[in-house]
Amino acid sequence: MSQLFRSLLVMIFGLALVVFAPSSRAETIAPDELVRRLATEVTNAVRNDPELQNSQSPKIADIVGRLIVPRFDFQRITQFAMGRNWAKATPQEQKDVVEQFGRLLTRTYSNAIASLKELDIEVKGTKTNSAANDVTVKTQMIGRAQPVAIDYSLINSAAGWKVYDVTVEGISLITAYRDEFNTLVSSSGVSGLIKVLKKKNGE
Amino acid sequence: MKRVRQLALGFAFGLSLGTFAHADETATQPYDPLERVNRVTFALNDVVDMVIVSPLVSIWNAVLPQPVRQGVSNVFDNLDDVYACVNHALQGRGTQAGTDLSRVLVNTTVGVGGLFDVGTKIGLKKSYGDFGQTLGVWGFSTGPYVVLPLLGPSTLRETAGRAVRVTTDARNLLPTNTYYALTGTEYLATRADAKANEGLIAASSLDRYVFVRNLYWQRRSNLVQEGRQTTNPSSQP
Repeated sequence: MSQLFRSLLVMIFGLALVVFAPSSRAETIAPDELVRRLATEVTNAVRNDPELQNSQSPKIADIVGRLIVPRFDFQRITQFAMGRNWAKATPQEQKDVVEQFGRLLTRTYSNAIASLKELDIEVKGTKTNSAANDVTVKTQMIGRAQPVAIDYSLINSAAGWKVYDVTVEGISLITAYRDEFNTLVSSSGVSGLIKVLKKKNGE
Repeated sequence: MKRVRQLALGFAFGLSLGTFAHADETATQPYDPLERVNRVTFALNDVVDMVIVSPLVSIWNAVLPQPVRQGVSNVFDNLDDVYACVNHALQGRGTQAGTDLSRVLVNTTVGVGGLFDVGTKIGLKKSYGDFGQTLGVWGFSTGPYVVLPLLGPSTLRETAGRAVRVTTDARNLLPTNTYYALTGTEYLATRADAKANEGLIAASSLDRYVFVRNLYWQRRSNLVQEGRQTTNPSSQP
């Protein structure tokens, strides 16, 4: 169990890392190089700015709000997490789920950015998935008692490389939520899912 | 007391072996026919946690400085490595078992009885291994998901694995009081480790029961798949 929880905690760091992606120059470089640069820049930023080391700082929300959206493909994350239920939702419902789910992820995982000051990320390699524009960059997070494997799945489209899943020690974010989404949709429909997401986000 | 516990666990083991039939790792959806009972246990565990365990963990964290807590965790991790070594050997993963053994030797000697994890520092990677995983590698399917009182998420197979560990643990040779003190400390240390992450689970999940179940299921599936992939086929039973 403790392993499991540890992995989950680390998932935050994983997400937090990508949050800081500088969107301007990332498009033309290879995904592994992109992740490597992000790792360096993010850890440096947190180390050099004491304000970012305080998880309550409004500065974090500011950076997250500005940078997370361009680097994460929330549409795809949501679509995968919805699985077969995606087709059941109306276009408006799909839009709502993407928005609310994105908000939930951003909010919960940005709190952990402060912890990055004591951690280092090493890129271990890249694996091509089903197509050439779909890759997984394998990394290892060092600085805790044990190194932790974090894999970033990215897809390349007109908008550049974007993350659509984070897998920590083999635990996939999308898969974790798919189960929840399924349960909620089968009990109360897509509208029920949206309601729960909104409530969770304090709306 | 210990005997009763062992009998009960032995029973659980027999029961699980008899009912391994249904779900397997390949199923993406956790197999949870006992959901209604499990949810009740899950809720009860929450109450026990809130009333008893959390206060103890707070005391634990307040009294012991972080390096000491890490040291205690390391000692138990070192014991886990012994167990992982045996299981990796049973799974036919000789290389892994060798690394585990080296870790135990280094950490027990240079690492002062396991207080310091020197092994990781010199590149001996810690890898997790338990008997539930061994059963999985041998081809037993997971069986249904179960939430155990106090211990939390499990499956029938992992419960069987746990029962085997408890009954074969060298700690059984210790005097009863020492045994319980040690086990209690381990439980507390584990819970203290996990505590930090539980707020996150609560914040990020829509239905915490389903979320935890899924994380557990993914983790166990990965352990078994990893075991199967690295197993040398000729050495598999």
